[in-house]
Amino acid sequence: MAEPILEVSGLVKHYPLTRGVLFKKQVGSVRAVDGVDFVLAAGETLGIVGESGCGKSTVARMLCHLERPTAGAIRFKGQDITQLSGKALKAVRRNIQMVFQDPYTSLNPRMTVGDIVQEPFEIHPEAAPKSDRRRRVQELLEVVGLNPEHVNRYPHQFSGGQRQRIGIARGLALRPEVIVADEPVSALDVSVQAQVVNLMERLQDEFGLSYVFIAHDLSIVRHISDRVAVMYLGRIVETGSDAGIYDHPTHPYTQALLSAVPVPDPAAREHRERIILTGDVPSPADIPSGCRFRTRCWKAQERCTREVPLLAVPERFRDAAGPVAHDSACHFAEERRVLPPDEPPGPHGLVTA
Amino acid sequence: MLLEVHDLHVEFGTRDGVAHAVNGVSYRVDAGETLAVLGESGSGKSVTAQAVMGILDTPPGRITGGRVLFQGRDLLRLKEEERRRVRGAEMAMIFQDSLSALNPVLTVGDQLGEMFTVHRGMSRRDARLRAVELMDRVRIPAAAQRVGDYPHQFSGGMRQRIMIAMALALEPALVIADEPTTALDVTVQAQVMDLLAELQREYRMGLVLITHDLGVVADVADRIAVMYAGRIVETAPVHDLYKAPAHPYTRGLLDSIPRLDLKGRELYAIQGMPPSLTRVPPGCAFHPRCPLARDVCRTDVPPLQAVQGPGAEEGERASACHFWRECLHG
Repeated sequence: MAEPILEVSGLVKHYPLTRGVLFKKQVGSVRAVDGVDFVLAAGETLGIVGESGCGKSTVARMLCHLERPTAGAIRFKGQDITQLSGKALKAVRRNIQMVFQDPYTSLNPRMTVGDIVQEPFEIHPEAAPKSDRRRRVQELLEVVGLNPEHVNRYPHQFSGGQRQRIGIARGLALRPEVIVADEPVSALDVSVQAQVVNLMERLQDEFGLSYVFIAHDLSIVRHISDRVAVMYLGRIVETGSDAGIYDHPTHPYTQALLSAVPVPDPAAREHRERIILTGDVPSPADIPSGCRFRTRCWKAQERCTREVPLLAVPERFRDAAGPVAHDSACHFAEERRVLPPDEPPGPHGLVTA
Repeated sequence: MLLEVHDLHVEFGTRDGVAHAVNGVSYRVDAGETLAVLGESGSGKSVTAQAVMGILDTPPGRITGGRVLFQGRDLLRLKEEERRRVRGAEMAMIFQDSLSALNPVLTVGDQLGEMFTVHRGMSRRDARLRAVELMDRVRIPAAAQRVGDYPHQFSGGMRQRIMIAMALALEPALVIADEPTTALDVTVQAQVMDLLAELQREYRMGLVLITHDLGVVADVADRIAVMYAGRIVETAPVHDLYKAPAHPYTRGLLDSIPRLDLKGRELYAIQGMPPSLTRVPPGCAFHPRCPLARDVCRTDVPPLQAVQGPGAEEGERASACHFWRECLHG
């Protein structure tokens, strides 16, 4: 593997639950993120998938230092950014930038596009001399496929896809090495999503970016990611190469998640195996003992209530070669293929004009 | 035929001029059939449904033409009083956002029971019993204990089940579901979609499923109508449409789905963006984004015409493209 650019270990974020106004006391905590470890190599894309409330956005916010971890370390090129403050922190933050989900609320409606993309330079004046900023902004707009002459327009004059391009231009302004993208395409129309995914891939090649790409759309995550981590209730339950996760899932939650995704192929309707989970995700304020997935798991046994399964290559696959040998936090991990094998292309083959 | 929409036109008065939201939409749904209406935001799919249900806000909305035949009666000619009797009892709607569609200050039991007290003149006590039965029917655990709970006390998936229960309470002949699972997580989405499909089979309802998700359509629909800029651009049995689309917009949508064999390559992307409804392009509304566009597309609106090809029996397939043959045969 290439040099790690980001190393996350034991990352925890607990929000206290309090009772009383005058005499506040803590009565519990919401364990939004409850021990997450991963490594991001330079130039690679790590996809994080999971359902709402699994903690994926909280992880993203901690990576960008928008949220302070309760415990754990986030090392950027070996340096723990959670311990930094002042100038040293500011210098590191330049290198990790975020692209947000909702291009309708993440751009200030009273600022022109030029001002929005230029704002990072005001916070980090050393990145570009004042005289050069206008040109840099126009360059950035061009890079993301917008007309540089539109610098004086306001966000509402752009469509959703164009606004997301503005958000990406702002994220690129300081030439960061890592971009954390939290659901960057899920607010966009289907016909526009592909454009933004293509843009992000092109920029990655052009600027050698590393991505943490968070989404709930599993097919887009597979397309863009080198490795994938599946989160459930504040923890990573399975992680591996995209082939390992999608074609050889060994954790029951991953299997259920993959099998539940509607496949855009009516022919797959009949011979598809679907695992329908019962019930809802438990509250992160009241996480089950042992394995946190056991309350919805069809394989759960007594051992699962007692022992927390560790995220490691399961023993039975330790000597296996190939993508099946990847980390899975299940006592009874076994391989089960749930996605229909991909049909040979049959691309409809329209040539773009 | 259960429902036939004929040449429906809907406009909205906006600050920027008249928005032509629905420009001559026709579709039909049979008993026991699932028609998926697929489109992006602004395609007119929800506005059409609101006009059919009679819940369009007028003003700013305005139905400027067309007919909505429900079991032979033109709903657009009914008086509001008669319309109200049809709505809820004979046709019902399931909304995307259950938290805003349910009344937050009434218990779910009261809201479900209301269907029976208002439409069937039942006593409150009987209505309550029916409410519990319904909650059981949509598999809400411990229904008898939870009938007195308020909507916010349920999870998103459970609330959506309550919406389904409410829609099915009086066993309507037609249900319109507007993005019923979009707000839900994938694993819950599967539960809710399965439940809806099961109940539909059991009651032999006609179902109009409005969605933007090609995956959901492939899973449950019998037929599909694809909408773009207020028009139906293609309609076909679902298998045929996925196999061989006859409109470049449909083809573009299918091609832009990421697939395994194209990993690491650029995704096919439809150029440009959906048009503004106050300035729908002349001719074919899709022409500025279409790889097949020629001069005729910039001037002449293509009619929805019968397509000969797979699934063409009984006039089941139609495409609003001047060059559908080219598109169909690649």
